[in-house]
Amino acid sequence: MNGAEHILDAFHRHQIDTVFGYPGGCIMPLYDALVDDVTVAHVLCRHEQGCALAADGYARASGRLGVCIATSGPGATNLITGVANAHRDSVPMLVITGQVPLGLIGTDAFQETDVLGMTLGIVKHSYLVTDARDIGAVMEEAIGLAGSGRPGPVWVDIPKDVLLQDAPATLFPADEESAAECPDLNPAMDLLRAARKPLLYSGGGVGLARCEDGFRQFAECAALPAVVTLKGIGNPGKHNPDNLGMLGMHGSRAANRAVDACDLLLVIGARLDDRATGNLKEFAPNARMIHIDTDQAEINKVRQADVALRGDLAGILAELTAAVRAHPLEIDDWRQQCRLWRTTGGFSAADNEEPLAPITGPAFVRQLSHIAPDDTMIACDVGQHQMWVAQHYEFDHPRHHLTSGGLGTMGFGLPAAIGAQFADRQSTVINVTGDGSFMMNAQELATIRRYRLPLKIIVLDNQCLGMVRQQQELFYNNRESQIDLDDNPDFVAMARAFDIPALHINRTDQIRRGIETILAYKGPMLLHVAIAREENVWPIVKPGAGNREMLDETHRPSTSNKEQIA
Amino acid sequence: MTPQTDTFMPSYTLNCRMAHEAAALERLCQVIRTRGFRIVRMAVESAGESLDIALTLEGTRPIAMLQSQLEKLHTVAEVDSGQTSAIRSRSA
Repeated sequence: MNGAEHILDAFHRHQIDTVFGYPGGCIMPLYDALVDDVTVAHVLCRHEQGCALAADGYARASGRLGVCIATSGPGATNLITGVANAHRDSVPMLVITGQVPLGLIGTDAFQETDVLGMTLGIVKHSYLVTDARDIGAVMEEAIGLAGSGRPGPVWVDIPKDVLLQDAPATLFPADEESAAECPDLNPAMDLLRAARKPLLYSGGGVGLARCEDGFRQFAECAALPAVVTLKGIGNPGKHNPDNLGMLGMHGSRAANRAVDACDLLLVIGARLDDRATGNLKEFAPNARMIHIDTDQAEINKVRQADVALRGDLAGILAELTAAVRAHPLEIDDWRQQCRLWRTTGGFSAADNEEPLAPITGPAFVRQLSHIAPDDTMIACDVGQHQMWVAQHYEFDHPRHHLTSGGLGTMGFGLPAAIGAQFADRQSTVINVTGDGSFMMNAQELATIRRYRLPLKIIVLDNQCLGMVRQQQELFYNNRESQIDLDDNPDFVAMARAFDIPALHINRTDQIRRGIETILAYKGPMLLHVAIAREENVWPIVKPGAGNREMLDETHRPSTSNKEQIA
Repeated sequence: MTPQTDTFMPSYTLNCRMAHEAAALERLCQVIRTRGFRIVRMAVESAGESLDIALTLEGTRPIAMLQSQLEKLHTVAEVDSGQTSAIRSRSA
């Protein structure tokens, strides 16, 4: 068995049946081995970045390991953005790259790059394998590492001659899972019971730990007012009356107000990211904090916790649920206050009653949320449309919302949707994108066509980089710089060139029909939605400011101030 | 050119044991740099399959934060913090 076959052997041991990749010189031994393999489905994307982001989307949607493969040099460097994206959002990923033969390493050989060196900061761990006899053990360790604890990408770089080298088969006994010990919850429960205004603050860690149900039970049982981070959207459930929605830079007034007023933050699976907290000095100024996370390095990283619990989230949540079930929290006044704030300061977008009026992003997303099936997975890109989805789409499960949170990768959405559709061929998968983001990985339309994936693409097209334009308007004296995309291609014609049917809409009365048409179509379809260039995401907190300083439409500068230099 | 100003820069010592594998030291140094510390002195000794690394570092952030980030590295077996002192340094 050669080195490449050892890799496939590891895939078989771990039931890895779907991988995303792109062949090339130094990885050819693995592609040769794939020819005879009947259990591993290889998805050929059209760019290595598409491979990595599709593997990321696959992992987010399925909770399983995402695998991507590329050759040395440009193949590896093209993966980097996707791997960094997975790293920042703690997505379990295995990256396999070919490397130039051992004797050529360090000679500036054709397609040689120091992959190990250049990726140190974006991986959970990485390996350069120099002996085929090590491949089995390295794969075993790499797969285990990628999915354990706080998940993340693990990169295995293997020289071509090592892939071709023969090595004996090795037996790997199955790991025995040890039961995690639950830490002492008494200090946390004491704080929780003493609090008069406790607030539940959850993030992506809930989904990563696969304890969505346990979290939901706790949230409902405790009936705590709850806020979520971008990656925690869906944790409390859309029917939870205490769910105040997303906090932070584009958070709801209700969520930011509750954080400002609370006297205890119960933080679960969140890292207090700057986009969520705003200016840390002004964040939750009256609150003590209980921080529950699997990653010790997140505890006390940016704010000192009064009580920190590190351990198995599922076990901790079960214990917390039992405790609040036995002795319910007495916070009726606070709960009522938050529910009032939810009514008056939640996300709302008026559905435009005027049928011929232009389409607005929020109104479109609200209709999409009402029409799409409950189990729909939405893969967003990055920009204004991403925030409108976060604000106005009512998610009932965190795994239904695929979004690039930490890295903010434009171009994430389309390949992530491809990965999600491979993770679940039956689910409705929709890529909601903007005209800027869509063009960053538009080549993956060919992948959709090749595999006849029935996913839907919605391009909210404002003919500009809307989020940049918005910040230039609000924080750079309305001086527009390099944001115009009014020479976009005809997206409908472009989709059709890939044999993907497409529709264009631009009026409010066309929204419902447009959405229903693409959802009813059995194959892939694109809906091109023209929206106004000047539309902003509200509210917004200026980067670096406290979340109390939310700006809304009344803060728009006069358009007569505009100084266009683009 | 930005004028230099006198600042007090806390100094720390850390002793670290990690596996002697490809890019081990780069991995360690990369975390130290990106987490906001500067290496003032570094002594490395090979001990079988391990590396023993004695570090003197400067930085204004809490050293515990760096220590927990280093402990997260898969190939780091142990990180011990030494005594803390404040030394006078010049920084731009």
